[in-house]
Amino acid sequence: MIKIAVYGKGGIGKSTTVSNVAAALSEMGLRVMQIGCDPKADSTYLLHGKDSVPTVLDLVRKKGDDITLEEMVTVGYGDVICVEAGGPTPGMGCAGRGIITALEKLDSKGSIDRFRPDVVFYDVLGDVVCGGFSMPMRPGYADKIIIITSGENMSLHAARNIATAVDNFRERGYASLAGIILNKRNVKDEVEKTSRLASDIGTPVIGIIERSETVIEAEEIPATVVAAFPESDCAEGYREIARSIISICEVKEC
Amino acid sequence: MLRKFGEMTATSTTFGEASFPTPFRGGLEYSPPARGTWNIVHTGMLLPEAHQIFVCAAGCLRGVVLTAAEMGLSDRFSTVAVREDDILNGDTEEKIIEGVADIIGKLDRRPPAVLLFTSCVHHFIGSDLAAVFASLKKRFPDIDFTDCYMDPIMRKSGLNPDQKMRRQLYSLLRPTEKDPNTVAIIGGDLPTDGDSFLKRTLSANGINVVEIHDCKNYSDYQSLAKASLFLTTYPSAKAAGDALEKRLGTEHIHIPFSFDYDEIEKGLLKVFSRFGIGDVDFSTMRAECAKALSDLKKVIDDTEIAIDSSAFTRPLGLARLLLDCGFNVTAVYADSFSACEKNDFDHMGEHYPNVTLWPTISPSMRQKPTVGSSKVLAIGQKAAYFQSTDRFVDIVENGGLYDHHAVIKLCALMKEAFSSPKNTKKLIQIKGWGCSSCH
Repeated sequence: MIKIAVYGKGGIGKSTTVSNVAAALSEMGLRVMQIGCDPKADSTYLLHGKDSVPTVLDLVRKKGDDITLEEMVTVGYGDVICVEAGGPTPGMGCAGRGIITALEKLDSKGSIDRFRPDVVFYDVLGDVVCGGFSMPMRPGYADKIIIITSGENMSLHAARNIATAVDNFRERGYASLAGIILNKRNVKDEVEKTSRLASDIGTPVIGIIERSETVIEAEEIPATVVAAFPESDCAEGYREIARSIISICEVKEC
Repeated sequence: MLRKFGEMTATSTTFGEASFPTPFRGGLEYSPPARGTWNIVHTGMLLPEAHQIFVCAAGCLRGVVLTAAEMGLSDRFSTVAVREDDILNGDTEEKIIEGVADIIGKLDRRPPAVLLFTSCVHHFIGSDLAAVFASLKKRFPDIDFTDCYMDPIMRKSGLNPDQKMRRQLYSLLRPTEKDPNTVAIIGGDLPTDGDSFLKRTLSANGINVVEIHDCKNYSDYQSLAKASLFLTTYPSAKAAGDALEKRLGTEHIHIPFSFDYDEIEKGLLKVFSRFGIGDVDFSTMRAECAKALSDLKKVIDDTEIAIDSSAFTRPLGLARLLLDCGFNVTAVYADSFSACEKNDFDHMGEHYPNVTLWPTISPSMRQKPTVGSSKVLAIGQKAAYFQSTDRFVDIVENGGLYDHHAVIKLCALMKEAFSSPKNTKKLIQIKGWGCSSCH
């Protein structure tokens, strides 16, 4: 089983990328679980197309310990198991604490044993801003981390910060960096700048996503590019990244 | 609209009207000045030679510091104060590690084990406690560390602090060769009564019964792991037994304390059959119970009786037993009931609907309602306090009593309480009934 936490600057396209890669992996016959770790609860939207799905924290608030795994998941395209951690009301509460609670709840309910996924994605909100956001990279959760960035300076800056956090936690046995995915915004020297960052932090660029209107068209449906435009170059790009991830990440038995 | 507590009327209900399992509305809570029940420091001190370290905000440390001092065991207790800067700097893990290391370095004697209590703030911000313990174990390989919790904000979900404390107390037992003739009773704060039918029968059949209370040192504690069977009788201890069964592969049987003879005997038979002890005759024990109750009735007659849930884990089972035997139970003090009391609750509602039920933690109880007379015989410290009576059975957490003998001994204690008034105020304010702080 491969367990991957995906980090990156807010709005950089993490959820879109993860959902498309999840869809591509499911096409390869793999059982994929995608856990959205964001109070907005929209990580898996493109996979199931529903405006809202019950989040783990909503269920905890309503039912306490009496929630079942089945209530926490929504099955999306390619039978991808979709989970949204959820969070507090915007502007209130503690999103980090929400992630801790949601992941612990999934753990205590035996989600991995029950669904036995081949690949698990933790799609994490923004930067590693507090302890809650480092939770997905702790032992028992993700083994590998992928950073998604564009060539924009702010995004690269966030990526470097994330890499520093990963390095800081190395001695604790946290997840290690598997690589960077460049989600192009067509800014100047984008590939070079990203390659330089990758070199600085000692990790490969495992995929480049070309800027494409196809992604926007698919989002309007809503669906992944892989599902909506399977023959497109864009879909093939996501498939290529999916294959790269499989070849790079260490495969662990359940 | 805000009201002064003095203007609030204490609210009671009756068993004819009460709902199960929480008869009273939750909210702001009050703590009556009856302190006999144990807290996590008392329980932790049962681990011989171990050192307790609490890492918490200074304001919250007051209670546990006082408990250790009252026990005369401050030399086995230390604290690390968490400050706001620690949170802002994001180094709570380092603070714990360095704090613990500093304490260990300054102790006169190196403890074989450390109970490390982290608190709400660590759990709320998601401190990586696994990393903390891994680091401490690497740094102090000769010390066993276990994670304990002082986290009242977490108490409404999952295992509560009481259950976790009992579980963690036995978490340091290491796997060892099992002795087929040794049984360990675990999880209770008080040693199981040696006169209990359970202990007497096992001993008479060559079974060695051990408890943490018998352990003089850490080596003795480790020898508890030799048991081929773990027994738990205290409800909050079940999680401890289950955890040991899973970790050490040692069978665990939960035989909860009860006043129901059928339930008691069912549990005892389960244990006895495990060791091939057959032909058990309970009729003598039942007859002894009946005689004890009859003798008690002759002495106290129709004296009003009040019971509280800090005395016994089955307050309704006790109320039912006494009422069915013709005693005059008029009040029960309890805030909620465990699922296993449902039958007794229904029985009370059907047969004794007018018996009153009072909360103990409702703020309205701060104005101690005068509901009885000073002639009331109370079972439990809270009942004694609320009834303003000096005739009470001073006991908490089942008092180590078990099976039929609990009935027999309780009858003796009630007789004694009826004829020998106590200094209620003095007795109930002492924390940790039956532990070293009471001596």
